[in-house]
Amino acid sequence: MSLQISTRYRSALAGLLAMVALPAMAEDLQMWERSGGNAGMVDALVAAWNEKNPDRKINLTYIPHTDMVPKIAQAIASGEVPDLMGMDLIYGPQFEAAGQLVDITDKVKDWPELKTAVQGHMTVSTYEGRLYGVPLYADVSALFYNKDLFRKAGLDPEKPPTSLAEIREYADKITALGGDVKGYFLPGSCAGCNIFTVGPLMWASGATIEPRDANDEPLQGDGVKEVLQWARDMIKAGNVHEDARAETGETFHLRFGSGKIGMMGTGNFNITLAKEQNPSMDFGIALLPGVKSGQVSSFAGGDIVAIPMGSKRIDDAIDFMKFLLSDETQVEVYAKMLNMTTRGDMTENKYFQAEPKVQQVAKAIAVAETPYTLKFFELINSPQGPWLQMLQRAYYEDTDLDTIISEAKAQMKAIAAE
Amino acid sequence: MHSKTSSYVGLLYVAPALAFVLTFTVYPLAQMVWMSLHNWSLIAPKKYIGFGNFVKAWNDPQVWTSLEFTLKYTLFITPILMILGYLIALLTAENSPMRQFTRSVVFAPVVIGLGASSLLWYWLFSYDFGLINRALIDLGLITRPVVWFGADADISMWAVIVSIVWKVIGFGTILFVAAIHAIPGEIGEAAMVDGASYWQRVRAITLPLTAKTILLVTLVSVIGSLLAFDQFYIMTAGQPRNLTATSVFLIYLNSFPYLKLGYGAALSLILAGIILVCTFLQMLLSRRSHA
Repeated sequence: MSLQISTRYRSALAGLLAMVALPAMAEDLQMWERSGGNAGMVDALVAAWNEKNPDRKINLTYIPHTDMVPKIAQAIASGEVPDLMGMDLIYGPQFEAAGQLVDITDKVKDWPELKTAVQGHMTVSTYEGRLYGVPLYADVSALFYNKDLFRKAGLDPEKPPTSLAEIREYADKITALGGDVKGYFLPGSCAGCNIFTVGPLMWASGATIEPRDANDEPLQGDGVKEVLQWARDMIKAGNVHEDARAETGETFHLRFGSGKIGMMGTGNFNITLAKEQNPSMDFGIALLPGVKSGQVSSFAGGDIVAIPMGSKRIDDAIDFMKFLLSDETQVEVYAKMLNMTTRGDMTENKYFQAEPKVQQVAKAIAVAETPYTLKFFELINSPQGPWLQMLQRAYYEDTDLDTIISEAKAQMKAIAAE
Repeated sequence: MHSKTSSYVGLLYVAPALAFVLTFTVYPLAQMVWMSLHNWSLIAPKKYIGFGNFVKAWNDPQVWTSLEFTLKYTLFITPILMILGYLIALLTAENSPMRQFTRSVVFAPVVIGLGASSLLWYWLFSYDFGLINRALIDLGLITRPVVWFGADADISMWAVIVSIVWKVIGFGTILFVAAIHAIPGEIGEAAMVDGASYWQRVRAITLPLTAKTILLVTLVSVIGSLLAFDQFYIMTAGQPRNLTATSVFLIYLNSFPYLKLGYGAALSLILAGIILVCTFLQMLLSRRSHA
């Protein structure tokens, strides 16, 4: 009898445990990703994972881009974190330094894929020699130019500008076509758009922008002033649409496809978009130049995927990271969608070979930089930060540029020192 | 003994309300004061810094810029809301079907969310696609589109004021109409018999007898304007160069995107103090005028 009861109890207990355990095993992984990023790419990656892993699907939630940092911070503070999250790569160092991401170094140290992963993403995923994330997707900036307008302006469509002086020269000719056509585009109220497209003009000219830490000097090099002077002159010469001043980033991605802009710095995402917007428009892609011919640079942006401290599915999250970097995902998901592969050794693939424009923009990866700072948002990305304030004063005021730069430096240093 | 028991019973009666106030007002306020004395980020351990955040606010030029802009916005929008709202109330106070319908139309935007209406006006003021630029060009008032947001702080402010007047004017109007209806009809009739003109009756009868409502609407309007956030967050994003970043915008920015909760709390306390002073002054002035 006693054995019977005991067996019954054991069975009941086992049944109860099974009821509790089974749903837990079948539970989806929760992943957060910022909206306003490359949602189509992330959707496709998650769909590909879910197809291969029906027993541990990922449930993806998009968080408004501007709310992402506070939302993650609140989640961390309350302990209600997702199992993994995609985040704008520039915020990586801030969360790593605060000890809020899981150190994955020991779990991934033998992965050969990491050797060729996009350098900028890997740099911001590393803090004090430990790794906290891997690339989720990559965006690079480049100079897009409208070949139709080049032809109309008497320019050679196969010879894009190779210096800032040439951009100015070409822009003058394109603007002279009249109507609503302008030679260039500078987003006046968008900090992120400017670090993505104007930042590389400064880097290419040998300048630095953000302070890495409190001891680092921001805005170093003559390139800062030279680029600001060039931008001011471009605007004064009427080479930029008047409403560019109000561009907060809302319609930045739609500008080039309008067909009314001769040249502009934008990202690889604009290839597909411009084709959809304006199928008949003929356009080319070149690297963003510096002051002198031959100087080039780019901004490697995008997202990393990381595991927040408190995640209960670390091993599953690591498997997803491995999946992202696998050869098959690189080619059959990233490349197939004409997005940048997140491994440098995967750019030679059938999809890129069939689309020369992607091959062209992929060259930017080799020269791209990614800022590394613990306070990127406050320093650079914030519409209220010193970076955008400096640009707006340079673009639209007549104040002496040395004064503008030295005031921006002081603001950046004060933020870095906090 | 009896009085002691009844005081306990009294305490019991007010206990729910007291608990509510303690939980949702006193405790958060105390927590905010505590927070303002710290360098407090959600992702890093907090650090006690005394009045450091208040000293920082005093020395922060953006705090003064935001405060100046917020006061300027309040000073401009409040008289517009009051005068226009009162005029509409006078025009529509009589209960004819057409006037009742007009009142409803004026009041309708009040029920729309501020976020939704701000977005609506953001696109109406759009440089390329906006109805406002198109209409002004077609009417021959301007020759080329105006960049309403992001170029000039004053132009941006006036564009926001137009949108907010449209959005909230109905609220004051309805209160004014109710106050006008509360005036006994015979007072106006007696004045008419004495030969008082319409504007004489408004000046000598309607305005004094609706003074309390005018004070209430002014108070609500001033506090609402000092706390302005949604409309500027959506329509101007503080641009150009933070010149349209209101005080609450600055608090939001520091507390959330910058994760400086301590500094944000200090700024909130400063703003709460300013609003308290404004309210007190307004009530004092009103009492004096009644005395």
